[in-house]
Amino acid sequence: MKRTFFAPLVAAGALLAVTAAQGSADAPAPVLPPLPQNLPGWIKNKDVNHLFYQRGRYNFAVYSVKPLAYDLNAVAVGHAMAYEDMVTGKAGRLEGETYRKIDRVLKNPPRLMPAEASLSPTFGRRFGVLEQVFDWTHTLHAQTVDVLASDNLTDAQKDAEIERLYQNYRTTVPYAVTSLPMNMGYLYGQSYSKGFRNNYPKTNGLFWGYHWLQGVMYDALYQRTPEQQRSAYEIIGEQYRKTELYRTNRPFMPMFAEVSPRFAARFPHLANVFDNLHMIHDMVNDILVTPGLTTEQQDAQIERALWLCLEAAHPGEKPGDAREPGGLHDHRFMEGMPGMGLMPGGTKSLMYMTTGGMGWMNMSECHHCSMPLPEGKDSWKASTVTADGWTMRVRCALCARDMSLETKGRAILHLATEDPAKPVIVFSDTEGNLRTDSKNAVFLEAEASHAGCSDWSQAFSNQAAFNAFVAANPEYKRSKPLTFAQWSTREGKKPDTYYRPEGPVENPFASEANQKQGAGKEAAKP
Amino acid sequence: MRHIGPALLTVLLAAGSAHAIDHDNIDAGRPLLFEDAISIAYRERAFEIGAALGFPKQRPVGLGLSAEYLYGFARNSHFSIDFDPSIGGRAGTGDTRADAGDVGVGLFRSLNRETLGTPAIAVRADVSLPTGRGSRGPQVRLRGILSRTVRQYSRLHLNADANIKFRPESGERAVQPSLVLGLTRPLGYPTRFDRTGLAEIAVRSGEKNGSGAVVSAGIGLRQQVTVRAVFDVGIQSDIGALGAKTDRTSLRFVTGYSTQF
Repeated sequence: MKRTFFAPLVAAGALLAVTAAQGSADAPAPVLPPLPQNLPGWIKNKDVNHLFYQRGRYNFAVYSVKPLAYDLNAVAVGHAMAYEDMVTGKAGRLEGETYRKIDRVLKNPPRLMPAEASLSPTFGRRFGVLEQVFDWTHTLHAQTVDVLASDNLTDAQKDAEIERLYQNYRTTVPYAVTSLPMNMGYLYGQSYSKGFRNNYPKTNGLFWGYHWLQGVMYDALYQRTPEQQRSAYEIIGEQYRKTELYRTNRPFMPMFAEVSPRFAARFPHLANVFDNLHMIHDMVNDILVTPGLTTEQQDAQIERALWLCLEAAHPGEKPGDAREPGGLHDHRFMEGMPGMGLMPGGTKSLMYMTTGGMGWMNMSECHHCSMPLPEGKDSWKASTVTADGWTMRVRCALCARDMSLETKGRAILHLATEDPAKPVIVFSDTEGNLRTDSKNAVFLEAEASHAGCSDWSQAFSNQAAFNAFVAANPEYKRSKPLTFAQWSTREGKKPDTYYRPEGPVENPFASEANQKQGAGKEAAKP
Repeated sequence: MRHIGPALLTVLLAAGSAHAIDHDNIDAGRPLLFEDAISIAYRERAFEIGAALGFPKQRPVGLGLSAEYLYGFARNSHFSIDFDPSIGGRAGTGDTRADAGDVGVGLFRSLNRETLGTPAIAVRADVSLPTGRGSRGPQVRLRGILSRTVRQYSRLHLNADANIKFRPESGERAVQPSLVLGLTRPLGYPTRFDRTGLAEIAVRSGEKNGSGAVVSAGIGLRQQVTVRAVFDVGIQSDIGALGAKTDRTSLRFVTGYSTQF
């Protein structure tokens, strides 16, 4: 099947024309924000506080998707090596020797998870409490992935166990990361922000590549069979290792809901925890490489950055609250996506995506036909397309299929059916040929205006479900069920309802230094 | 229960405490004498087994086995219980019969983590119940532990012990002090991350009144073999004596396996 490239939505010229605002060692130290008053005593604790993970037969099930497990092992090394250099006066090596050292590990990942504390002993001795927060939240990361990768649990049991793990996470220690959607524009708008991104683009690209992986893996595993998980990770792992690790043109870290919207819709609090954790990483990186700061100032600002993102700093606050619009206590979220805090430069309804040249996107609308997506408890009825580093929610099976055809590279389609436990998973090769292991799936496709596409274009887990739908909706009584082979070779018309959202400015990141290489391009790979 | 007396050293019945089962978290007896100043994780359970072949001077070869269960009952604290049967020759006695050994129970408490300015500090206390052949009442060991990073990735561990016998035999010391200095270093950085090398030098007072101190040394390796298991191997030997003569062991080969659950 012939493919066309998804039309880039960003004017490359505008991106190429920008000027870098590179920092330098001679730059004056920024005016630092004041430290919060009356911080709790535990934030300065001198204890070890190692906490054991929750017991469960699912632990380490991630090794059933071995390439993912190995890639995650290498991520731990990458984080630790960079941090150790930053606190031992070797930041100048980050883009050279350290980058090559990390890259070698990423290409030859360890078979077992290394102990990060052993790899970054100086960092751990200096920032012991921060390390406790990282360790405990990484444990939540690891165990939720183990649950999803387990073949011992039903989907319902997995959902329940993930919720249990989260409750254990937030109630065991006082230093849990908040599950509130945080105002990312505020957190990444500190006086020291962006220094790491601008001055260490390759190493920062690795960090954001790790965080891309740590987000995208959730939808790759969620509600999938073990075989589907392995097939999905074959595509995602390749994307990660060949492209995402080496992107230096992102203006902002990958957000969880951008890459795993299904899981984020089901567990918005977890999506927020992981985004906030990753933002702590970014803030710490920026503080450590900001010129002119004394060690004491670095320590104090890292303590502040940590505090801002902890649950204990936001008592009684709820998603949607905006006690300080635009500030720290602004917990509004992107429309249609409670698992995503407000994005820098965006509006409540629109965010700007540079990945894949997407431009302005509305998270509550189908990214193919612009019609509203199901929300809340019905959010599972949305389908998704994963390709080229992004994941988009779409409204119907046709939108998913056609969007994948318009995109370069391999793709994963997650098609909702009448049963949330029986989605149809479709894999597309580079030529656009589709395959599925859902042998009994049938499709309805009676193309009309996309205002009604979620009715006339549907996937069903079997013929009986199709018949039941047609019986309840006699307007489709003349429609014949399509087999997968028939459906997969079709191509719909351009959606009549599609419009390109326009944001407040053409590109809010146009003046960002790291955009100088142009959207969609990658750094030279080592 | 570990005592630095020659009898136990000979067959190396030490099972040692553990931290999270990680090649870089050092447990007493796994495979050397020293441990680091970190308790196992809160709510962690660990099980360690070991075997040691000892070659005491002018006595038959001895075989010691060890098994220890540990539980992190509170943050930065763990409890342990261990069993140390043995058979064959051991220093300090001519008895070579099988011995069920004493049953030990212990408490370990990490007092603080290491910072840039201070070492990690921990204390532990073990009580040895006289269940073994010829045991004469309970014994107590008090241990202080310091762990300190040196040269970025290596760590030094100082273990200072006081072994107290409440019913010592005639001519036997009631209190035996000992000191172990251990060094650990991850091996294989920056291309592999699953192995730690260990070395130690120790000095302990002789068991008998008037006997001198014994100096021993050892080297070992801890290898991560699964996500939650570590294999260890080591060699130890008494290498000298300070002062009057005392029982010594020429060589000990140690191996063990630790797992968490």
